[in-house]
Amino acid sequence: MIRTIRHMTLWAMLAAALTAFVYSAAMLYGIHQDNDLIRQLTSGKDVAVNKVISGEPELRLARAFYFKQKHRYDEALSTLSLIMDKGDQKFQAKARYNLGNLYLEQAIQQAKAMNMNQALPLAGLAKQAYRQSLALDSGNWDGKYNLEVAMRLLPEMDRVDMPDDEPTNQKSQLWTTVPGFPRGLP
Amino acid sequence: MRILLIMVLSLLGCSGSIDEPVSYFNVETPRPFGYVNGDEIPQRIVIETRSGISLQAGSLPAKGQINRWLNLNQVTVKQNGRRYEIDLRYQVFYAPLEVKSLTLPGFTVQLSQGEKSVGKSVPAWSFTLSPLRELVVRQTEQGEYLRPDSPPPLLANTQALYGLTASLTVAALIAAYLGYLYACFPGMSRRTVFKRALRKLAGLSKADMEQALTLVHQALNSLNGQPLFANRLSDFYRRNPQYLQVSSQLAWFFNYSNRYFFSDGMIVVAQDLQQLKDFCERCRKIERGSR
Repeated sequence: MIRTIRHMTLWAMLAAALTAFVYSAAMLYGIHQDNDLIRQLTSGKDVAVNKVISGEPELRLARAFYFKQKHRYDEALSTLSLIMDKGDQKFQAKARYNLGNLYLEQAIQQAKAMNMNQALPLAGLAKQAYRQSLALDSGNWDGKYNLEVAMRLLPEMDRVDMPDDEPTNQKSQLWTTVPGFPRGLP
Repeated sequence: MRILLIMVLSLLGCSGSIDEPVSYFNVETPRPFGYVNGDEIPQRIVIETRSGISLQAGSLPAKGQINRWLNLNQVTVKQNGRRYEIDLRYQVFYAPLEVKSLTLPGFTVQLSQGEKSVGKSVPAWSFTLSPLRELVVRQTEQGEYLRPDSPPPLLANTQALYGLTASLTVAALIAAYLGYLYACFPGMSRRTVFKRALRKLAGLSKADMEQALTLVHQALNSLNGQPLFANRLSDFYRRNPQYLQVSSQLAWFFNYSNRYFFSDGMIVVAQDLQQLKDFCERCRKIERGSR
């Protein structure tokens, strides 16, 4: 009786191990397919949208990357906004950094075209996105650099060593600044 | 005498330091220079108190925005008996045009003993912040120089690979063990005697009873290592105790074989052959360990 049970258990374990093997193989194949899609999007080729919708957040990040390369900002923004809370901390930092770049590029374009009303809020949003990204991953040098670009574009003019340097003063002063980079030597 | 009394009293007055609520207080800070926009600055405050005095966590600065350029990302308090370690992690968001001196604001840590409360001030700490960008902006073909987007990461497949390897290893081990039990490997002929006998028996009819009985005898002999007779069965059981469960069938087999080979007028019916096959089948199950 015990031997019969042992045999049945062995067969059941074999079946379970084989099922796990098939499952892992299917998962590996899926990951391989997704990585191919990501490589394709990164190299500037579009993929079918239904493959991205049903996939991992990394796929959406890759699609947003593709849209940004093609200067399709609105589509990139709507794709990125779907994955803001997905993934681990590092992934979220990455998504926020790319979001910051998306806003900043548009802000610079608007500032060049002297559309200050559009440039101001975009630069503000870019700074916010970079700050969030750096709070999640303070070791991202690209984020630090681009935040500095955004801060120079939209300078925060209040002096830090003033005693009334409180967050309450920020709003009133933020909108009185003029965006633009200093040209030439001071 | 009066002078002595005054001296004792003044000494007692000096000994007020024993009643100090804080026996050790230190603010540990890193280097005060070389920071850039977005850097995190850790600060550790170590306090050792006298017994009965506790730290009021509410007096520590709250997590979040401190002022326009400074955030407090993390506040952790570790208590080890009367020793407190307060770890603060600030983050600076400031884009200076040249190396700029900034100051982390000071605050007062409140310690309470019953209803009394004592404050210990953490001094403001100055450090310098450097710019990352030159003053005259670098231009590229696209305009302002910006760091590019972070390329999307590829999905990690390590977990799936581990799963694949582990499940394959387990499956192979179980399959190998089952293979051993079912004697699927060459060189395991002692575990396949009934398997081979069964295969040959399948092709025989009741007319070939002599051949069938010989086959089973041969199988039993090769299992025993020497010819097996009915009177040596006890020896056989001692060496192969698992075959005790077919003792009645084994006895029937020897009895039937005796009658078939040594008495006249024996009529073979199909049921006898079936019984022989059943016996062989049970022996096969014992042989591969499934009974």
